[in-house]
Amino acid sequence: MKLEASAVEKWYLRGNGESNRFFAVTKTDLALEPGEVTVLTGRSGSGKTTLMNIMAGLLTPDGGRVMLDGQDLYAMKDDELSRLRNRLFGMIPQGADVLPELTVKENIILPQRIYRSRSRGSFSDDDERENEGLLSERCMSLLEQMEISHLCDARAKELSGGERRRMCIARALAGDPKFLFADEPTSDLDDDNTRIILSMLRETADSSCAVMIVSHDAEAGEYADTEWRMDGGTLKKR
Amino acid sequence: MEVRMKEKKGSSIPAIVILILAILAMTGVKTFAGPCVHEDGAFGSCHWAGQAVFGLAILIAAESALVFWRKNTGFRKGLYLAMVLTAELGILTPGTLISLCSMESMRCRMIMFPAMVVLFSLMLVSAAAGVLLTRKG
Amino acid sequence: MDIRKLPFVNLLRRPGRTFSLLLLTAFLALSVFGGSVIVMSMKRGLNNLESRLGADIIVVPSSAQSKVSFKNMLLQGTTGAFYMSGENLTRTLEVEGVEKAAPQLFLSSLKADCCSIRIQIIGIDPETDFIIQPWIEESCQSRLGDMDVVAGCDVGVNASDTLKIYDEPCHVIGKLAATGTGLDSAVYCSMETMNKLLKAAEAKGITHEITSEDEGLVSAIYVKVKEGCDIGKVNSAIQGHTRKASAVRTKSMITDVSDSLSGVSRTVTWLIAVVWILSFVILLIVFFMIANERKKEFALLRLLGTSRAILGSVVRKEAAVCSLAGGLTGVALSALGLFPFTGLIEKSLGLPYLTPDVSTILLTALLTVAGTVLVGSMASFWSAARLSKVDPGRVLRGN
Repeated sequence: MKLEASAVEKWYLRGNGESNRFFAVTKTDLALEPGEVTVLTGRSGSGKTTLMNIMAGLLTPDGGRVMLDGQDLYAMKDDELSRLRNRLFGMIPQGADVLPELTVKENIILPQRIYRSRSRGSFSDDDERENEGLLSERCMSLLEQMEISHLCDARAKELSGGERRRMCIARALAGDPKFLFADEPTSDLDDDNTRIILSMLRETADSSCAVMIVSHDAEAGEYADTEWRMDGGTLKKR
Repeated sequence: MEVRMKEKKGSSIPAIVILILAILAMTGVKTFAGPCVHEDGAFGSCHWAGQAVFGLAILIAAESALVFWRKNTGFRKGLYLAMVLTAELGILTPGTLISLCSMESMRCRMIMFPAMVVLFSLMLVSAAAGVLLTRKG
Repeated sequence: MDIRKLPFVNLLRRPGRTFSLLLLTAFLALSVFGGSVIVMSMKRGLNNLESRLGADIIVVPSSAQSKVSFKNMLLQGTTGAFYMSGENLTRTLEVEGVEKAAPQLFLSSLKADCCSIRIQIIGIDPETDFIIQPWIEESCQSRLGDMDVVAGCDVGVNASDTLKIYDEPCHVIGKLAATGTGLDSAVYCSMETMNKLLKAAEAKGITHEITSEDEGLVSAIYVKVKEGCDIGKVNSAIQGHTRKASAVRTKSMITDVSDSLSGVSRTVTWLIAVVWILSFVILLIVFFMIANERKKEFALLRLLGTSRAILGSVVRKEAAVCSLAGGLTGVALSALGLFPFTGLIEKSLGLPYLTPDVSTILLTALLTVAGTVLVGSMASFWSAARLSKVDPGRVLRGN
């Protein structure tokens, strides 16, 4: 499974008129492959997150295509693309966004339950219960790895910034994604925890997942297979 | 774990509602929603029904005020249960336990009876909600 | 936890937000249901009055002719103390075109042991009466005999009970169906029985406007005109033929009332419309504000792989559940404020007021709740549609 962006670009209008286009990403090619960690560094505003969002199917590019095994992501219907993202993509957003009213555990389980009633509706009650049990176990083991298992029943809005970030990582990993997108995954964490998280992302990649990390943390480069630098919307290999 | 042990926040809200309703019933039965006033100054049975309702309103107001005394779950739950029963008595007193005047168009039937039944019914519902809401986190 | 439970979880865990939405929708339902029931009750009261009033013309003493008190007598059943000679009855019957004429004698301020307020006693002639007796609802005998009474539906006695008036035992032979007017608390008896009651009162030293000596007085004569005769002409003929009396056509009175009623019902309808439009606008704004506040939350759901359709259904379901609860609360509160206080409303309106039957009320309640849910869902629909157009990537970045 390979995710490939070819000649993608994204611009915004500043002020009036076509001449005032501001390019967040200029024609860029990028490929993500299983087992590899791709790290993207660059100053803030250089277009890193924009490129990641385009790769993750969250932001329609103004030019170019993003292909997953020969399928154009942005040619898909919304329903199809959403399902695909839900099934194959894991995302750790920059703002460590959570559903504030849900508990930590519910936040992690919910994405796995968005299409349950549709795709697995035919399962019997026993299967259902077993499924539920497995998911709960998986959730708890992830929370233990993230060292926030004691907070599993706390509301997400009660967490500190670092705890939220760790919860987001657990949420992204819970679905065993094929592609993991991490936007500044270590920004609220201390050195020890940064190391723990980065090596965890590395492990995830080693279990045949493609990991894309956007970071300005130099340490992230140590875990990378490919390292890119983004500058003014242009991608350069380091 | 400390998150789980928190007392449920809502458990004193029904008491506030009941207190307001009880004060309304207390003042109402002595003013705008009282029993019939007899021309000759004699007391009919509706007068005594009004007195009984007044007493029950004071009782349930006191019960609801006691809720604020302790945060203990069992204490509050017990009080709410008592309020459910008191409210029930409040509904039954005018008309069923103590008879009212027999003309529909009389004050005790036209105003006091429906007003008190409505107020005590609302108190009953609030007290039942209090029983359900009072539990550990 | 799954996506279908999310709307409920969101509602339950933000009680403040849910409560304000609920309050708004409850207010909507309350005003609509309450307004409709009041208008329907008034219409039913008037229809009932019209069908019960079997008379085409009513003859009353000239002294009582001032239309106000006459209207009161019809609408509220507050009969005054006015009397004319019984001779007028004979004279009325002599007029060409008169089919039936039934006299009534009003007497207020009698005391019965059931109650300590004054009740109205109305004397009728069982032989000629066509106004009261057809409306006896439950009865144990058909004819009004000596010391028999028929009670209005609000008098606290049952058929075959004994009602003591001035310590004289009267046999209740029947109860009348509700009129929604003050007549519901009147007691009807024959003229002879009334005379006996007057004597009993005099023996106790209680006096009234008339005495037991006053034979042959009447307060009002209800006239039925022969089929095919011009009521207007008969009316003027009676007017000319009787003494110190005036004849009034009931039709004109009913028309007056129904005019004022349609005015009231128009006002109520307008009020309901204004409330709905206002509530809809407020709901639109509220949902818009809530959607803005929750923009990131919804974008996150999209990011986690929720399709536009599913996100839309979450938002609409939240709104629908909330407005359903609000609608039910509003109808319940409205019912609590209306139905127990029917008597009080009737009295303060001064118009016949009869609550519609249960099935009509249930239907109204159902329509109100359905309308509330519809309005709530429609208001949220717009926010939901607007939300799902934006790329989640942009929202989460704050662009």
